[in-house]
Amino acid sequence: MSADVEFENLVKLYYRDLYRFGLSLTGNETDAADLTQETFYIWANKGHQLHKSASVKGWLFTTLHREFLKGCRRRNRFPSESIDEQTQELPSAPADCAQQIDSRTLLRILGEIAEDFRAPLVLYYMEDLSYKEIADVLALPLGTVQSRIARAKIQLLRRLSEPTLSLEKAK
Amino acid sequence: MNTREAKQILLLYRGAIDDGDPQFRAALDYAKTDPELDQWLREQTKCYDAIRTKLRAIEPPVGLSEKIVRRRPIPLAQDWSRIGQLAAAILISASVTVLVLKWLEHRQPVAGAQEIEVTGEVLDMTCYIASNLSGPAHAECARICIKSGEPAGIKARDGKVYLLTGEPGHSVNAELAEYAAQVVTIKGKQTVRDGFVQLQVEEIRKL
Repeated sequence: MSADVEFENLVKLYYRDLYRFGLSLTGNETDAADLTQETFYIWANKGHQLHKSASVKGWLFTTLHREFLKGCRRRNRFPSESIDEQTQELPSAPADCAQQIDSRTLLRILGEIAEDFRAPLVLYYMEDLSYKEIADVLALPLGTVQSRIARAKIQLLRRLSEPTLSLEKAK
Repeated sequence: MNTREAKQILLLYRGAIDDGDPQFRAALDYAKTDPELDQWLREQTKCYDAIRTKLRAIEPPVGLSEKIVRRRPIPLAQDWSRIGQLAAAILISASVTVLVLKWLEHRQPVAGAQEIEVTGEVLDMTCYIASNLSGPAHAECARICIKSGEPAGIKARDGKVYLLTGEPGHSVNAELAEYAAQVVTIKGKQTVRDGFVQLQVEEIRKL
C-alpha cells in the first residue's frame, strides 16, 4: 500500500474521533479542526517512528493531547469548576439520563468540568480505549485516571439530574 | 466485597471492553447476588450508552478529512548519500564550534559559580515566557510540559526567574515535574552568562 493511500485510510478511520476529542478539550470547532489536522501532519512526518506493535490510535490521541497542552489552548473557553477532593456519594443514573438533551448541550455541560478531569472522562465515554491506554494518552498513572473519571462522572450525573437542566431540555 | 465497594468499582464499568478486568468480574459476580445493585448497574450501563451515543453523534465540519489529505506535508525524499554528506558537514562544523567555545571559555571564564538557595514557584518556562502562564490553574499543563522535557524554571519571591538544570547530561525534569506550580526552595549553583541566570539543582525542599 502506498504511503498516500495509507495516510488517507488513517485519516478516514480516525479523524472523527480525534475531532470530537479536540472539541471536548478546546470547546471550539476551529481549534478542534486545527488540532486534528496538526495531529495527522505530525503522523505524516514522524509516524514511521512508531513501533509496529504500538497502538496507532493511542499514538494519535497522545499526540493531539500533547499538541493541545503545548499550545495551552485551554484559554478558559469553558468556565470550568474544580471537583471536591472528598469522596462523593455515588449517584443514581438520572432516569432519562441524556436522552432529551442534544450533543452540543452535553458537550457544554462536560465543558463545565475542569480540563484535568474532562479529558479522561471524554476518552472514557467516547473511545474504546482500555484504562491503561487512557493513562498512556494522558501521561498519568492508572489509579489517577480511574479516580479522575469516577469523580468527573459523578459530577456529570449530578449535573444531568439538576432541575435547571430539565428546563433547558424542555426549551 | 460489600455493596458499596462493588458500586464504586462498577461506576467505571462500560460493558464488554472491561470484562477482561478481574476487578470488574468480581464486582459483576457480586451484583448478581444483590438485585438492588443489579438494577443500579443496569441503569448506569443504560446511561453510559446514552451519553456515549450523544457524544459520538458529533460530526466534524464537512470536508475536514479531504482538507487534511489534500494539505498533507510531503516528507523529503531520503537520499542517504546526501544525508551522509550533510551529517559529516554538521559534525565537522559542530566540532569546530566546540573547540572555539572551549578556547573562549579559557579566555573568559564563566562568572563564578555561586552556591545559592532560591525560594519560589516552579515554572514551565515555555508557557511562562510565551503566554505568561503560571500558578495553580496552570499546574497540570506545567507538570506535563516539564515531565516531557520542556525547560523548567523558578520564579523567586523578588520576581527574578532562574533556568533550572541538572548537572551536564543529567536531567532533573522528572523530579521538578512533581513540584510544578508549587513553591519550593532549591539549593544549587548559580551561573550567569550574557545576563541569563541558570541554577544547577542540587537539592529541592518542599515548603
